[in-house]
Amino acid sequence: MTEFLQHIVNMLILGSTYALLGIGLTLIFGIMRVVNFAHGELYAFGAYFVYFVSILLGLNFFLSILVAIVAGCLLGALIEVVLLRPMRGADIDTTMLIMIGAMIVMQNGEQYIWGGVAKSVNTPFPQAPLVIGSVSVSWLSVFVFFASLALIAASYLLINRTKLGKAMRATFQDRDTASLMGVNIQMIYMATFALGSSLAAAAGALLGPVYVISPQMGNIASLKAFAIVILGGLGSIGGATIGGFMLAFAEEIGAGYISSGYRDAMGFLIIIAVLLFKPTGLFARAERIG
Amino acid sequence: MLEVRDLVCRYGKVEALKGISLSVKQGQFVALIGANGAGKSTTLRAISGVLSSAAGQLSFEGQDITRCSAREIIGRGIAHCPEGRRVFPDMTVDENLDMGAYLRPDRAGIEQDRERVFGMFPRLAERRQQVAGTLSGGEQQMLAISRSIMSRPKLMMFDEPSLGLAPNIVEQVFDIIDNIRKSGTTVLMVEQNAYSALEMCDYAYLIEAGVIVLSGTGEELIDNKHIRDAYLGGSGH
Repeated sequence: MTEFLQHIVNMLILGSTYALLGIGLTLIFGIMRVVNFAHGELYAFGAYFVYFVSILLGLNFFLSILVAIVAGCLLGALIEVVLLRPMRGADIDTTMLIMIGAMIVMQNGEQYIWGGVAKSVNTPFPQAPLVIGSVSVSWLSVFVFFASLALIAASYLLINRTKLGKAMRATFQDRDTASLMGVNIQMIYMATFALGSSLAAAAGALLGPVYVISPQMGNIASLKAFAIVILGGLGSIGGATIGGFMLAFAEEIGAGYISSGYRDAMGFLIIIAVLLFKPTGLFARAERIG
Repeated sequence: MLEVRDLVCRYGKVEALKGISLSVKQGQFVALIGANGAGKSTTLRAISGVLSSAAGQLSFEGQDITRCSAREIIGRGIAHCPEGRRVFPDMTVDENLDMGAYLRPDRAGIEQDRERVFGMFPRLAERRQQVAGTLSGGEQQMLAISRSIMSRPKLMMFDEPSLGLAPNIVEQVFDIIDNIRKSGTTVLMVEQNAYSALEMCDYAYLIEAGVIVLSGTGEELIDNKHIRDAYLGGSGH
């Protein structure tokens, strides 16, 4: 039982960052119909940026995370304008190939700049974990959990309560009619990609310091993001949030009770199972966003 | 107010509009009638900027708008109430109305107009928080019209507002459009239901296969033999 409680706590922390990763990807696909294979690289970018700003420039750790999120947002906007905007109207396979190309360039760029040796980030949190009963959790993880929840809530409010969010949902539901209302569709695409990218960078910036930072970290993050989105249904923020926690749960239970070697395989088992039995995702009510 | 000169539009290689010209004067109610596929919707889509024209000129209030984006067109005061309602199905009634007022900065004016459309359509007021996809067809049409009103347009274009609605609802919708026109908004309406359209309008154009073949006042066209035979079922209604 105590072991199970520990797994649940781990699941909540991991799941909150997975949710961030999934929300970013599901927004980009839902609104733009772009299968973003570079999503994991934005995650790695966020992690490296925290390393760069906090260790190399010596800035405050919390501020570094904020800077990494903003940098992810700007990089996302740049990718959209330079790589995706000229390909507007191209079919989904074409933009998918472009994003695979972007992934390869970014990953090799990371390796070139930072080398293949994994980096770690020192944090201002005490080494001794927080112990409640038989469950122990690092202070860093507690911070990661609450920061992720705050970002999930912020994304939810942005999409559901702001004018920009309304325009994004309108564009998702009916692009032509949204443009008849005066929505600048190009701007919405850029904002969507920037927002999705900043969420991926946020997940990397938060989770990077928990583990180590390496050029390959983006690969597995991309695959997990796809698992989450397939689980939750494409275009659904609520689905991506729940999907993130479900993937984390499956990984924790799989690693804890089956074999820790199969931790990362759990995501793929889930993809296979969902595609076999409920290909639209567990929560998709047809297609929607919000 | 609106001048369309020799407008040509293509879908790929198919020429949907082969150089049509029409004009709508301030305060007028103009109808564009014709059969399915004649190019009525294409004309409205070209005016509202969702479709770019291959040749020809569009001007509104004396200014050239041929190359304007949809955003600029609605900003200038032309609202397009599209065929098949096209409300945002997963957004609430209120949110759909917000989208209609998307480019307007004046919050107080927006709320005034919201109250005004709720006064016109009490059923929408009752369903403010309901998502639009769950409304009936008639209610969706009311919402689509309200959404267009929310942009405070000078010219309102309706594309087949009676399509797919029960006869008693159709009558209501036409009454509403008539009221909108009486309140001073200029109207350009596309309709397959030729008789109702001709009865309501000041001036009408008949479009056949991408070409304007006839124009005149509503009464003139109702009395026209070609229109009687081809569009009014040959009988004298």
